[in-house]
Amino acid sequence: MNESPLLTPTLFHAGPVPISGAVVVTWLLVAVITTASWALTRHLSLRPGKAQCVLELFVETLDNQIRDTMQVQPEPYRALIGTLFLYILAANWSSLVPGIEPPTARLETDIVLAMIVLLASIGYGVATRGVRGYLRTFAEPSWVMIPLNLVEQLTRTFSLIVRLFGNVMSGVFVLGITLSLAGLLVPIPFMALDLLTGAIQAYIFSVLAMVFLGAAVEAHPTPKTLENKEP
Amino acid sequence: MALDWWTLGLQTLNVLVLIWLLSRFLLKPIAAIIAERQQAASRLLDDAATAKDEARQIRDAAEQARAEADRQRAAALHKAEHDADLARRQRLQEAGAEIERRHQQAQEALDAEQQMLQTAIEARAGQLALAIADKLMQRLPASARVEGFIDGLVEGLETLPAETRQTLSHPGVSLLLKVPRSLTDAEHGACSAALQRALGHPLKLEVSVDSGLIAGLELETEHAAVRNSLRADLARLETEMTLNDLQRP
Repeated sequence: MNESPLLTPTLFHAGPVPISGAVVVTWLLVAVITTASWALTRHLSLRPGKAQCVLELFVETLDNQIRDTMQVQPEPYRALIGTLFLYILAANWSSLVPGIEPPTARLETDIVLAMIVLLASIGYGVATRGVRGYLRTFAEPSWVMIPLNLVEQLTRTFSLIVRLFGNVMSGVFVLGITLSLAGLLVPIPFMALDLLTGAIQAYIFSVLAMVFLGAAVEAHPTPKTLENKEP
Repeated sequence: MALDWWTLGLQTLNVLVLIWLLSRFLLKPIAAIIAERQQAASRLLDDAATAKDEARQIRDAAEQARAEADRQRAAALHKAEHDADLARRQRLQEAGAEIERRHQQAQEALDAEQQMLQTAIEARAGQLALAIADKLMQRLPASARVEGFIDGLVEGLETLPAETRQTLSHPGVSLLLKVPRSLTDAEHGACSAALQRALGHPLKLEVSVDSGLIAGLELETEHAAVRNSLRADLARLETEMTLNDLQRP
């Protein structure tokens, strides 16, 4: 990674459409994740194998995290949060493959992820509270807070972008610099650290997405939410 | 810094497609199988609870049946004991009655045997007495077996009721005189004379020898009899002895 991280080089053109490396890697990740998911869920049974146990553990943990963080039933949010976590994790860890640059090291990918979270929070908030109810949340606790709340919507989205982009991009840069300065074995600790950083960033992004979505649907519990809160 | 809007759009499309794909091929199937397992577990728990309830009901029914059986057994045992007690009492009563009856029969048999023995002894004693008397009389003169009893016969006639004696006084009445041996003429005459004196008129006398008299005379008619012989005396003694035995407590 010798060029500027703020620039997105075009890998090839599909007609008039320039295709960047991040898009191609994302396609590969989508293919791999989807194929693995299809392969692992083809023969699900009530007596699970090891792989099914791991998958069920992942889904159970994800559901419990959504319940604990958002205080709602996890079904409507499971696909979005689970996909964000798996995609960001896979994208971050794709840097271990030689010649692959993680898509999350590019600003466009992080912007897309953060904007999806922003739009999802708006969509779920409107769906839960209605348009007037959702807009009324910007005037809480007082109408004086409307500008601050609007700014908060933008800044927290921006913080999502910058946090993910900065961590992953810096990891890629550190790894590239280390590779250019030292031999093959020296970058291994940095690669391990990059794995840890990638997993943490995926977890943080997912948790923050849950927090933002939870804030959008907060204080307007559905019957399922009440049912979930009962001991 | 310049954003690549094509990349932005394509990545948006990629992430949305990935959300749908993961939802379709990973998260929903896993959540569905978890829910299915939870339902199966819930069903199993419900079935187990139902089976437990059924088992509890069966156990309660069995306990009730056992209690009922115990109660019936106790009732049957009590009834059997009561019946056995009644039967025992009845058997004892019957046995007592049987013992009493057999005792009474034995006593009666014993009394009868004693009576028979007494009778036999008395008969034997009578025979012995007759034999003894006969032996003794054989030591006396032969005339003593007749003459010595004529006065007694006359006294016997006099003790008869007047009506009876009057019937004996009718002429033509035949008197049967039993004697222990054949009478001599003198003895026949003495007897006839004594009887004529006693009755006061002549009479027709028929003499019959009966050695069983041993000694003495007996007079018989159609309406009366006068016994004046050792056999008659022994018979009277025997009768008196028997009466004495019966009157003895």
